[in-house]
Amino acid sequence: MLRASAVCEAAGYPTSSLTCEGFLRQAAATSIGLGMANIPVALVPGHIGNKSAEQLRRDILEVTTRAVIDNLTVTPATKGDTSEPGARDIVVTGGFKEVNRYFYEHEYSDGLPIVPPTRDDIEAFLRFTNRGADEVLGVLLPDKRAATVWSIAVNGVMAGCKPEYMPILVALIEAMCDPEYGVEHSGNTPGADTLIILNGPIIKELGFNYTQGALRDGIMANTAIGRFWRLYLRNVAGFLPHKTDKATFGNTWRVVLAENEDVLKEIGWEPNSVEMGFAAGDNTVTIARYTGGGALSSVSGSTPEQMLPYLADSVLRFNNWQITFTTSHGNGMLRPLVVVSPIIAETIARAGWSKAQVKRYLYEHARLPAWEFERQLRDWNIRGVWDLKDDVTAGRIPKVFYESDDPNRLVPIVWEPEDYMIAVSGDPLRNNAYVFAHNGFLGYPVGKKIELPKNWNKLLANANV
Amino acid sequence: MSNPPNDGYYEAYWPRGARQQRTRPLAPRLKSLEGKTVAQLWDFLFKGDQVFALLEEGLKKNFPGVRFVSWREFGSTHGGEEKDALAALPQRFKELGVDAVISGMAC
Repeated sequence: MLRASAVCEAAGYPTSSLTCEGFLRQAAATSIGLGMANIPVALVPGHIGNKSAEQLRRDILEVTTRAVIDNLTVTPATKGDTSEPGARDIVVTGGFKEVNRYFYEHEYSDGLPIVPPTRDDIEAFLRFTNRGADEVLGVLLPDKRAATVWSIAVNGVMAGCKPEYMPILVALIEAMCDPEYGVEHSGNTPGADTLIILNGPIIKELGFNYTQGALRDGIMANTAIGRFWRLYLRNVAGFLPHKTDKATFGNTWRVVLAENEDVLKEIGWEPNSVEMGFAAGDNTVTIARYTGGGALSSVSGSTPEQMLPYLADSVLRFNNWQITFTTSHGNGMLRPLVVVSPIIAETIARAGWSKAQVKRYLYEHARLPAWEFERQLRDWNIRGVWDLKDDVTAGRIPKVFYESDDPNRLVPIVWEPEDYMIAVSGDPLRNNAYVFAHNGFLGYPVGKKIELPKNWNKLLANANV
Repeated sequence: MSNPPNDGYYEAYWPRGARQQRTRPLAPRLKSLEGKTVAQLWDFLFKGDQVFALLEEGLKKNFPGVRFVSWREFGSTHGGEEKDALAALPQRFKELGVDAVISGMAC
């Protein structure tokens, strides 16, 4: 909303931005990154979602209306730029505890001890990339800060990464900067967290876990890179709790999910990287944000027909309100992810099923009665002026969502079978799966190739000495 | 906090990046809303349709000559096509004779 207001102000139109009480601090912090720290907002008391019609009327007429008038007719006081350190400034010197106290108090750390980013350590990271330290990969909202290779190294050191992780870190920030991902939405209230999927030989070269406990902390490469992601969101994009990060609950970061490419090769399924448009054998990262999801225990059966109903049913159960991204509001950008353990993938593939066939099955079987789809969004959530018929009639979504007036007709939760993503990882000898509920355009899947430095093998050999 | 002998000594660098956006001026404010045209921008969330109806009532009470361009004219300002939707606004405002904007809902 503030982004819209900033566009209007820049074009010469005074604005008033309607802001619920709990979002005033977010608005204040976000407006700085927009270059309009004094952009005026009009208070909507409390939260609008739980007001009676009478209370809403009273609040808007007695509080918000006056603020709107002021916003549009009274020039707001100017707020100047605040002074900050330079990109390569040393900000604190001292012992480990002193550095950590300073970083925590200045909101540079996540509450856990960080490795102090010193020049020697930063330079060790920079040796693992061919890019210049000052190269800017993009500019990140909400703070609108430059995402430099230098800052990637600094935050990589802080997160406890090894220098040889640097090529992955660079690829991740390239992905974070990709407009299709939508990093600017990372402070939204459902508090989704990014999942990083890793593919390629680098999985083994750097010792990532891709078997039992694949999403558990405890393996340095998976864990430290997950932490790096969140530190970079905090320090360079600018997402801070109680300010720009408005997660109602949130989670700690997700560790990196590495695919089991040995199993994929054995069963003839393409890895996620190929589905993202890369060549088999490329080292790649894929990022997307997920609001939640959950594990499925004991996906039993010896044929796809016995196993897939459970998967389809769970896809539906774990993606409830997220179907808002399937409608015109979300432009069909819901991409549910299903991670299956090797034994499930092997059983399905043994029957001759490809990944594409599994996706087709999910598309055809993970379906809701239309009345239930509409109830979720129109009556329970946030879409007071909307229904499937309108969306289809206006050509905004596929016809499959309105093929008759029967409220019990079954509709899919994605536009195309290919919207489903499938990955293989986890305990090779346990038949469990995990469904991730996707956050649509607020974290759309983006993949990037990992560029290795020219002397990668030599650098790696020296690093492992 | 005391520093024990084994606490080391570090010169730690700033972990953030330089801001790329300097302060920009806001648009000039209006002297009054009387006789002016106010556009309603909505992200199609959080009862904005009801809020804008109430604001019309409240603003008209103060400025009987104020006019409104409904949120229906612009579509959602949030969603998968946000960037295109926002880029089109200045031209639409010109065509519609807009003087000021109310944008919602941050909730």
